[in-house]
Amino acid sequence: MIYFEKVSKLYKTKEGTQSEALDDISLHIKPGEMVSIVGHSGSGKTTLIKLINREIKPDQGKIFIGGLDYDKLKKRDIPYLRRKIGVVFQDYKLLPKKTVFENVAYALEVAGVKVKDIKERVPNILELVGLSDKVNCFPRELSGGERQRVAIARALVHQPRILVADEPTGNLDPKISWDIVEILLKINEMGTTIIMTTHNVTIVNKLKKRVIKLSDGKIVRDEKMGRYGTK
Amino acid sequence: MISSFFRMFKSGFSSFIRNGWLSIASITIMLLTLLILSMFFMINVALSTGIKSIQEKIDISVYLKENIQQSVVIDMQYDLAGLKDVKSVNYISKDDAMAKFKIQYATNDKILNSVASIGNSLPASFDIKVYNPDKLDTINTELSQKKYKDIIDKISYQDNKSVIQSLLRATNYMKAAGIGITLVFSLISLIIIFNTIRIAIYSRMEEIEIMKLVGATPGFIKGPFLIEGAIYGFFATVLSIVMMASFVYFASPSLVSYFSDAGTSMSNYLTDNLIYIAIIEFLVGLIIGVFSSWLAIRKHLKIG
Repeated sequence: MIYFEKVSKLYKTKEGTQSEALDDISLHIKPGEMVSIVGHSGSGKTTLIKLINREIKPDQGKIFIGGLDYDKLKKRDIPYLRRKIGVVFQDYKLLPKKTVFENVAYALEVAGVKVKDIKERVPNILELVGLSDKVNCFPRELSGGERQRVAIARALVHQPRILVADEPTGNLDPKISWDIVEILLKINEMGTTIIMTTHNVTIVNKLKKRVIKLSDGKIVRDEKMGRYGTK
Repeated sequence: MISSFFRMFKSGFSSFIRNGWLSIASITIMLLTLLILSMFFMINVALSTGIKSIQEKIDISVYLKENIQQSVVIDMQYDLAGLKDVKSVNYISKDDAMAKFKIQYATNDKILNSVASIGNSLPASFDIKVYNPDKLDTINTELSQKKYKDIIDKISYQDNKSVIQSLLRATNYMKAAGIGITLVFSLISLIIIFNTIRIAIYSRMEEIEIMKLVGATPGFIKGPFLIEGAIYGFFATVLSIVMMASFVYFASPSLVSYFSDAGTSMSNYLTDNLIYIAIIEFLVGLIIGVFSSWLAIRKHLKIG
């Protein structure tokens, strides 16, 4: 489903020097897997997510997602690729002037889904994330946890085969964090491949799913039923 | 196609409403610049009509010698009327001239009595009006031909030539300055409106980024912004037209009383052409709104 082959990504600093965000990493994620990407800040987790969503291009190496070779991807195809991958951003990235319903519906509107279908699918997904009573609220009227649920609903509403979540519990308290993870687990059980970056030790240890640890842009550990730390 | 246009329109309209203050600020700036532009347009119209009425008053009076036969007069009038720059040739006989003189000095008994004692010494004349006062010199050359030497006593233009030419130079300069200033202000207005919309769109750059990240194509993102730009243009022009129409309606009597002929022609021009001015302004407003939005959003839409 997701292949990274010897992928490297360099960022230019203000001083003109280059810092390596990802250094020659290779990984393979199978369909239906749930993978936690862990590591310190600056270890390359977010770069990995940005590469999957094609927000940035690698400097070296090859990326294949769902059989699609990213090297051969044209600029005009990027919006269509993004409709196949659901992304949950750490800072939610909700449209501030749209209601909860409209934010979720937007992901369907961009794909040209009919109004009738939108009216059916959006309430269903909002029910799945427990926001049926907030459909007409604006993001500013929601708590952090609720905003994150809206972001998850938006990422899922077009039924992507891959869901990528960048620190989905980063700004939330432990109880709400676990609620969010439970939603992700539920989605994973339905067959969606999930890649989640996180700092949350408790969640990773409780999940007992595959864990990939990044350090200084390199994969230092990849365990099938891993934990956050080695012990 | 229809549903995507409807979706785009709905999204643009709701965004216009929800970004209330931004929309009001953009419309206000657009309205003010359009009003300044309209004001310059009206000044230009006033100037042109004023200049036109001054220029229309510039004519050539050709005074004829005594005892010219009627047939010669008719032939000459016919010849002059046939010249391409001549608008009209009006023959004023000695009697007509005297009648006019009497009307002009009707209240001055002294003059009337002395004229009555001398008899009619006023000459017959042609009053020649031209389409373009710049051509007066050509007409003067035509009249100075040998064939008219025995008929014409005096041509008024020759006495007033320098005054008329200075007046023409001044009016032409004013006309050009009026058009120039209006053009400069049109350009300034365009730049102000474009920058206002650019700032409005810049303030929503993050929104555009989010749209791109969830898979919206540049065309899908652009549509509602163009609709918003059109709505800005619509409201700004409608308000500007209403204000301008009110000004014309309420200021017409004052314009007529202060500027007499020029005021009347300006007021008539604006009243007669208000609907056309409104349509043009409306279309220009819509086009500027949409075009500025298109230009401003273009660079934020690059993907990848």
